[in-house]
Amino acid sequence: MILGWVRLAVLGFVLLSVVYLLVSLYSKSVRREKLEKRFDAGDVDGDREAYIETGMLEYRHGLRRRLIILVYIIPVITTVVTIYFVNY
Amino acid sequence: MWTKIKWGIRIALIVIAGLFLHYTLPQHDIVRITNTYNKLTTVGSNWMFFSMGDVGTGAEASTNRDIRFIDAVYADGTSVQVYRNEDTGWIWPPYFKYDSSNLQAEATNLRSSKDAPQWVAVTHYGWRLAILSIYPNAVGMREVTGPDVRIIPWVNIIILTFLAFAIFMLRRMWLQFWERTIDPVVANAEEAWDAVDAQADSARAKAQGLLGRVGAWLATWRPKTPK
Repeated sequence: MILGWVRLAVLGFVLLSVVYLLVSLYSKSVRREKLEKRFDAGDVDGDREAYIETGMLEYRHGLRRRLIILVYIIPVITTVVTIYFVNY
Repeated sequence: MWTKIKWGIRIALIVIAGLFLHYTLPQHDIVRITNTYNKLTTVGSNWMFFSMGDVGTGAEASTNRDIRFIDAVYADGTSVQVYRNEDTGWIWPPYFKYDSSNLQAEATNLRSSKDAPQWVAVTHYGWRLAILSIYPNAVGMREVTGPDVRIIPWVNIIILTFLAFAIFMLRRMWLQFWERTIDPVVANAEEAWDAVDAQADSARAKAQGLLGRVGAWLATWRPKTPK
């Protein structure tokens, strides 16, 4: 049925968006903790707040944050591969 | 007592998850196909173990319908297996199978006799439970050279590894959330509570001081012990 895969797409999108949100919150939190710990270890001079905010800005433009988009891409690829192997 | 109950619940959950995975994940049988046919079948309270809803051509929405079956016999020559052959639809289980007719044709093509056996590896999920009239669903088949061919379950290896990874990550995320979000709040509350406590202490001390002073002052009015 054609409606079947539309339903799957909508449901999958909602579910994966929740996963995306959780993963990105986690990743951000881990990065902030790392920056805090690095500063508190005494390796860096200057203002603590400023150091962490620059670090977070770098993270926001970094590759690691962009990679979280794989949360959407990998399931789509898996689904297509499954469809191919089961039906063709 | 509570630890026993806790462990009981935990074990029950693990068993349920295990059964669920055992039902849903693909398995391989090496069999000889003996017959393929349609049978008018009534799906009743065992509907959970059949295709349902608007999968396939829509006939699956009906509780009284033709279902394709594949009879097979294992290498030992006596134990048999009956597979159903139905589309799975798009939600669960996520096999996205919509080629049941083709699979039935393949199965018919691979039928063989006892004297000239053609061994076939049938990929399927589900259980054959005669008491519930439920059948495993065949999702694919291919010819193999003999009944002793070794099949490595790559799909299961990948899925179970991924599941373990997902559980591990969920745990780490939970712990991170707890450490970074809940603990500071609790610590703040404790600090606030300590502050209240300290205030109460000092107030009590002050009161004691005041009462003590009043008491001391009153004491000056007491008659002195006669000499």
